[in-house]
Amino acid sequence: MRTRTPGPVLPLDRVVSHTLSNGLRVRLLEERSAPTVSYYTFFQAGSRNERLGLTGISHLFEHMMFNGSSRYGPKEFDRVLEARGGTSNAYTSNDLTAYHDDAASDALQTIVDLESDRMRSLALTPETLEQERQVVKEERRLRTDNSIFGLMEEQLEALIFLSHPYRWPVIGWMEDIERITREDCLEYFRTYYAPGNAALYLVGDLDARGTLELVERHYGEIPAGPRPPPVATGEPPQRGERRAAIRFPAQAPALLVGWRAPEARSPDAPALDVLQTCLAVGESSRLRRRLVEEDEVAVSVSASYGWRIDAGVFLVFAEVAPGAKLRKVERGLEEEIARVAEEGVPAAELRRAQRLLRSSVLHELSTHNGVAHALGQAEALLGDWREAGRSLSQYEAVTARDVRRVAASWLDPTRRSVVVLEPEGAK
Amino acid sequence: MSDRIALPPVREERLENGLELVLARREGVPLCAVRLLVRAGSALDPDGRHGLAHLVSQSARRGTARRSGREVDEEVEGLGAELGAGADEDASYVGLSAPSEFLPQLLDVVADVAANPVFPAAELSRIRRREVAGLAHLLDEPGAVADRAAVAAVFGDHPYGHPVDGRARHLSACSRADVTGFHRRWFGPGNATLVIVGDLDLEAARALARRKLGRWRSAAAPAPELPPVAEPAREVLLVDRPDASQTQVRVAVPAFPRASPEYFPAVVANAVFGGGFTSRLMEAVRVNRGLSYGVRSRFAASRAGGFFYVSSFTRNETAAELVDVLLSESARFREGGPSEEELLRTQNYLCGLYPLALETHDQVADKLAEIKLYGVGEEEVTGYRERVRAVTAADCQAVARRHFPVERGVIVAVGPAKLLRKPLARFGPVRLLPAKSLV
Repeated sequence: MRTRTPGPVLPLDRVVSHTLSNGLRVRLLEERSAPTVSYYTFFQAGSRNERLGLTGISHLFEHMMFNGSSRYGPKEFDRVLEARGGTSNAYTSNDLTAYHDDAASDALQTIVDLESDRMRSLALTPETLEQERQVVKEERRLRTDNSIFGLMEEQLEALIFLSHPYRWPVIGWMEDIERITREDCLEYFRTYYAPGNAALYLVGDLDARGTLELVERHYGEIPAGPRPPPVATGEPPQRGERRAAIRFPAQAPALLVGWRAPEARSPDAPALDVLQTCLAVGESSRLRRRLVEEDEVAVSVSASYGWRIDAGVFLVFAEVAPGAKLRKVERGLEEEIARVAEEGVPAAELRRAQRLLRSSVLHELSTHNGVAHALGQAEALLGDWREAGRSLSQYEAVTARDVRRVAASWLDPTRRSVVVLEPEGAK
Repeated sequence: MSDRIALPPVREERLENGLELVLARREGVPLCAVRLLVRAGSALDPDGRHGLAHLVSQSARRGTARRSGREVDEEVEGLGAELGAGADEDASYVGLSAPSEFLPQLLDVVADVAANPVFPAAELSRIRRREVAGLAHLLDEPGAVADRAAVAAVFGDHPYGHPVDGRARHLSACSRADVTGFHRRWFGPGNATLVIVGDLDLEAARALARRKLGRWRSAAAPAPELPPVAEPAREVLLVDRPDASQTQVRVAVPAFPRASPEYFPAVVANAVFGGGFTSRLMEAVRVNRGLSYGVRSRFAASRAGGFFYVSSFTRNETAAELVDVLLSESARFREGGPSEEELLRTQNYLCGLYPLALETHDQVADKLAEIKLYGVGEEEVTGYRERVRAVTAADCQAVARRHFPVERGVIVAVGPAKLLRKPLARFGPVRLLPAKSLV
């Protein structure tokens, strides 16, 4: 049914790439398919760059970025942007903090002005810090303290990592959120929000050359800033299974199993994505079929391999069917993973996973926002924005032998970490 | 910026058997979005069988005259797609996003699942057990519990008043005869619309759709009209979670059906009041008081009726303060409406961002399906900006007068009853609702 020969899904050769003298990296892609622009600012700073006592500062700081700068007062960032037909948001991860604005294309100049102003001269008042601290504590209560998966995931990371900063949650420990001072925030801003630690990704209905000049005019004078201190990334080898239990009011048990997996740059990363798809994407995936359909011991099962700068985590989460035994879920999972590690996957299953991954990449790249984010994520995690255009061919290159090898080497049962939810007193 | 919103040229046709066909070719990624909608949803669930429409859509894919459930999954996923099936109060859906080169094979599966399911007894029993087990886990999500309680309270005994995914007791009571009967009664080409949007050749897609669905025959009847929604009495519904450190709050009130002249004034009024990051509610709840991480309001509109609701959460100690702010902000808006600055900013925001709601094949397909289901016309999309800009401050205020909860509406709180009962009593009579009654 295809009506034309498709061009590359992501035209890397049309990306205009430039680094300003203060170190700010700028990548622009003109795409006229919709009359909008997507504008991402990536800072190479996340919970990975924190230390105990100040956990959660990256995320709390993300909130502070919406609270005023030298030329725009508190609350004005979103008001000005919305008045021009735009919207903004941000997220913080273990590795990075990303801010994005999506808007009608004629708002581009306004966005450059707003974004450069807060990078140059963020206002950090004691009042806004106290207000955001309360908001973040409420966010933590929502996503972690009152969420079964949130509690279990926090516990799992603390099991898998003994010394690496991935050990603590991105949102931070509650006591640390309470402890962070305005001085801590100022120091964080000076260190991590300098242009040399940042990159811009602009995709959409824009003129790349003209926009680059606009960016240069607005950001060019911001001083370069110091080089952020190196991250202490050591982690001792894991010698045996680690387990933890969480007692919490719930209707039924749940199981979360995780393994320390390689960093995103590893040549094994695409094969682990394929493995994850074979295990738990789609109704015909191995774990869904075994645990949900055949044994009926789980209500749902999902797997993920999150790409990170340092070691990633490969995890499997299952909600146990009420009345079923958690140990049956665990045994089923164990057997299915052992089977892939011993026998690998048949050719049809590999092709299925590759096609599902291709569809998922195409979906991601079907919006300006998706393209801008993919460029930024590739540069932040893989070291080069061009990697964003390579994921399709990397998945195509994965062989059945690769899938078997990564299952055997990374999902080793003697090096897994297990968190179980033990329901208590739920009515 | 041109003020008209461009839709790709849409080709429409009604086949001899009554099936409505909507095709649109768009540039973009080499995928096609496919949606088959049938005008029969949970509002048609019989008494004592709440969740039947949902169960039909979940189990139809578990076996057809030509394929087992496993074969459906393997064929679809082997071609790089994932089949979605589900129901809402007004309709049932089968859909997927197909790599363009596999559209013929994938449309064959979609048509097969919608028109020829055989509901194998063993598979049906298994899906029923799975759905009942899933409902138990839902009780562990305070936000989902609050949403269910709010819908039940607003609509009461109306056909919209029960959850789409049903109740455990009802699902367990649904027999195979119930399931096949529902399918036979409502699933037919005369009740159905097929939408395909994406990287396709219109003529070839048209011929393909005729080939796959042109011979679908059924005596299915059109769905009956539903009664209007009755006004619930003001009360506070409390769902007890003794160990929660945070309370989920909803305030909800009946509003208008989807195809209503109030739709655009309500879109604008809601965006000012509780839509985006700079809304009145966000400012009052998050910015000025730090009570919550998030707060929002929304008009949800279906064929026969709709409701307006406000949704937020806060630590238990401040739950009453939060409700108080939500109600007093409603009152303030009702009395004063939006300022000219708020109105203009919100109109620019809605108009500037609207193209983002139509950026992907899936979004366009969903929008075309929505237009057909509610009979609102493409002009709602192409003339979106003119209609948003035509809304006045007085229009917004009129919407608020009719629908914002001040004295009216129900208040739902999910949290520790021991701490909440007393402080919330000042908003209305408090009734304790067992969580289990919601599933």
